[in-house]
Amino acid sequence: MVSVAHLTRPQRWDSPFDLGMGESDVASLMERSEIVAINAAAFPDQTPLAGILQNDTRIAYYKAGDIVVREGDYGNSAFLILSGKLRVFVGDYPDALLGRDRTKKKGIFATISQIWTNSNIPEARDTKMYESQAVRSGDSRGARSRRRSSPTRVFVQDIPAVLDECRTAEMGEGELFGELAALGRIPRTATIFAETDVALLEVRWQGLREIRRFDDRFRRAIDQRYRQNALLVHLGETELFSSLDEEILGKVADATLFETYGAFDWHVSFQRLQSSGQGGVEHEPAIARQGDYADGLLMIRAGFARVAIEFGSGQRTLTYLGAGDTFGLEELYAAWKSGETVSLGASLTALGYVDVLRVPAQVLEKYVFPEIASPPVETVDTGTRTLAENALLEWAVEERFINATKSMLIDLNRCVRCDDCVRACASTHGGNPRFIRHGKTFDHWMVANACMHCADPVCMIGCPTGAIHRSEVGGTVVINDETCTGCATCASSCPYNNIRMVEIRNRSGGALVDPDLKRPILKATKCDLCYANPGAPACVRACPHEALSRFDFQRDTLMEGDLS
Amino acid sequence: MNLIRIRHLMIWLAAGIVFDLLLVEGRSVQVQLESPSELTGYWMLGTIIFLALFNLRKRLSMLPLGNASTWLTLHVVIGVFALAVFWLHTRTIWPNGMYEKTLAILFYLTVLSGIIGYLIQRIYPRLITQTGIEVIFERIPLRVSELRQKAEALVLECCDQTRVDTLGRHYLDSLQWFFSRPRFTFNHIVGSQRSRQWLKHQDEAVRRYLNEDERKYLDDLSRLARQKEHIDLHYTLQGAMKRWLLVHIPLTAALLALSFWHFLVVNVYSL
Repeated sequence: MVSVAHLTRPQRWDSPFDLGMGESDVASLMERSEIVAINAAAFPDQTPLAGILQNDTRIAYYKAGDIVVREGDYGNSAFLILSGKLRVFVGDYPDALLGRDRTKKKGIFATISQIWTNSNIPEARDTKMYESQAVRSGDSRGARSRRRSSPTRVFVQDIPAVLDECRTAEMGEGELFGELAALGRIPRTATIFAETDVALLEVRWQGLREIRRFDDRFRRAIDQRYRQNALLVHLGETELFSSLDEEILGKVADATLFETYGAFDWHVSFQRLQSSGQGGVEHEPAIARQGDYADGLLMIRAGFARVAIEFGSGQRTLTYLGAGDTFGLEELYAAWKSGETVSLGASLTALGYVDVLRVPAQVLEKYVFPEIASPPVETVDTGTRTLAENALLEWAVEERFINATKSMLIDLNRCVRCDDCVRACASTHGGNPRFIRHGKTFDHWMVANACMHCADPVCMIGCPTGAIHRSEVGGTVVINDETCTGCATCASSCPYNNIRMVEIRNRSGGALVDPDLKRPILKATKCDLCYANPGAPACVRACPHEALSRFDFQRDTLMEGDLS
Repeated sequence: MNLIRIRHLMIWLAAGIVFDLLLVEGRSVQVQLESPSELTGYWMLGTIIFLALFNLRKRLSMLPLGNASTWLTLHVVIGVFALAVFWLHTRTIWPNGMYEKTLAILFYLTVLSGIIGYLIQRIYPRLITQTGIEVIFERIPLRVSELRQKAEALVLECCDQTRVDTLGRHYLDSLQWFFSRPRFTFNHIVGSQRSRQWLKHQDEAVRRYLNEDERKYLDDLSRLARQKEHIDLHYTLQGAMKRWLLVHIPLTAALLALSFWHFLVVNVYSL
């Protein structure tokens, strides 16, 4: 007899954004002009506007000087200004203002001095460096009193000086910001800080998506903002549209549709599916299906998508597409040229979260195809590789290593397991290695547990101080040790377990403990590609057998015996 | 031909050219009725010092001293070059004199340990990878201990559930020895399949005396034994790849020290 266990099906709002968001908060929000302007009647019964406000938003209070969003950070929320004034930087400003890493490339003396300055004490830190950090606890008054803890924020220390020295623009009550980065999963394009004490309505991406979906006016406003701010530039930079004049390009932009597939927080479901062994193409949201009529050109704006064909009883991956790639062009062109209906030769599914632009076929036929001198070239390998040759690609896609721009790929047939790479890493990081020479393996390849500096760095979402960020040069994902609060948000978010939380010590080896919480001080650590050291990453330079490389599964080609 | 191979070829070519130049120069010194041993001696000492610097490069990974792979290629090529220069310098394979013989023994042993190290580093990684598992060397004792505990728990459960102690006695007689620590070290070193054969024999020897329920336990036990066999292989081969340096480096240090003394003595008394 098979026993049956009962489990209530998870609901959309089982995990509200803020448990402290009460009905009175929602009621007062519903009276605000910005919310009244949203057509509440258009929302379905199961996701009413009031429900979205209660479960997908929270009221966040910022003190004067607090930085709300930073240029280059990733975020999954938009903000509506309820009260107070904010400032947005429109010109240059000092990087240190944002709590970013101030590490400079080491000079020759600093490099050599590591021979004697590297500590034998694990994770030893000079505690003086934390004294200058511009980090403080967020406000937790009013409705926020039911929150478990207050967020930590980076703040601008001298607002008048900043206003004097930097060019800024004012933002006031009723203005919305951050929605394009939140919906498009792209980095924030500006830095905004509170000039006075402010109250903001923070709307997480799920709520934003629902409002955009059900309220036409809101959707048009958001889309219009995107068209004005980014789409024209994006289309102009795409080879296919580069020859079009501004007027035609504007018409193409007007007709372009925005679509999103998959979950913004895909890394959470990915980890769950991986652990339960339920990954695979059949669980991925379909963007276009093989055999369907091609009704528009699909352009990937953010995220990754899998191109696959039916094969046997499953799906065979041909390739995967990332930001800037297109799908369906050959079929659309062939259909236009022949005047007949041409169906898609492959399927396109979302690998995690994908942001897609759909340029309708009619627009292409009218404005674009007549300008094309030669037909688009087929770029997808549809069958020259054997299944065995294709297996590595399938594995990389399945494990989402395609997200990597610098995965640590080890050829196990060459690796003598000497750990010279680990020692080299430690020698350039104060005596502490920043990766583990262990990881998932396929055939004779291993992707070690080292930060892969992802194209879609989910670890950066939710960092309260922006300590984890991309470096200006090279886009390496780095952590500013000074402003890291040890909250472990990044480590929990990393789908590949490549960020380690470590307990730090002072120079004499004493454990550092928070006097209030009586807990050790933690810091997030990971590979930083030795960005402060001269030369290539120490791990690569240290391997005598050329077994180790930093590999981009999209750009680099893997060949037997060649890891250049 | 990829860039790595081109680089290797260039280094070999350069070494060959340098050796030819050294031969020509040696002849020219000989024509002047002087001994070429002084010239080749300096070259010999220089190459030994350069070869020893590879270890220093490994310890100074924080410095931009070039890729270790290039250093390894240079190390191998100049190692071969040193052997040729050694024969050129001594003009014999086995020199006379106690001190010279000691130097020659140290030199040959260093070269031999280097060749062995090079070969095992080329061959063993593939053998390890073929096991299909990856285990960090330092964690092997823990993995062996875990497997032993699993095996013992399995045998105890078998005795408890089937009320028969045949498998338990067999475990105590033979498999306990196998699970206690890494075994068949020499066989793994030489690439022999002895451990697999031994395990097969142990399985067959007891299977005929087991009932159906006990055989299921034996199947599980054999699975654990195969895992243990793979870990033993890792332990032996990874250990060999680490430990050969414990021979090569002290020999190099001794050779370097004696060569310096030789250099001093020659310069003080013979020149």
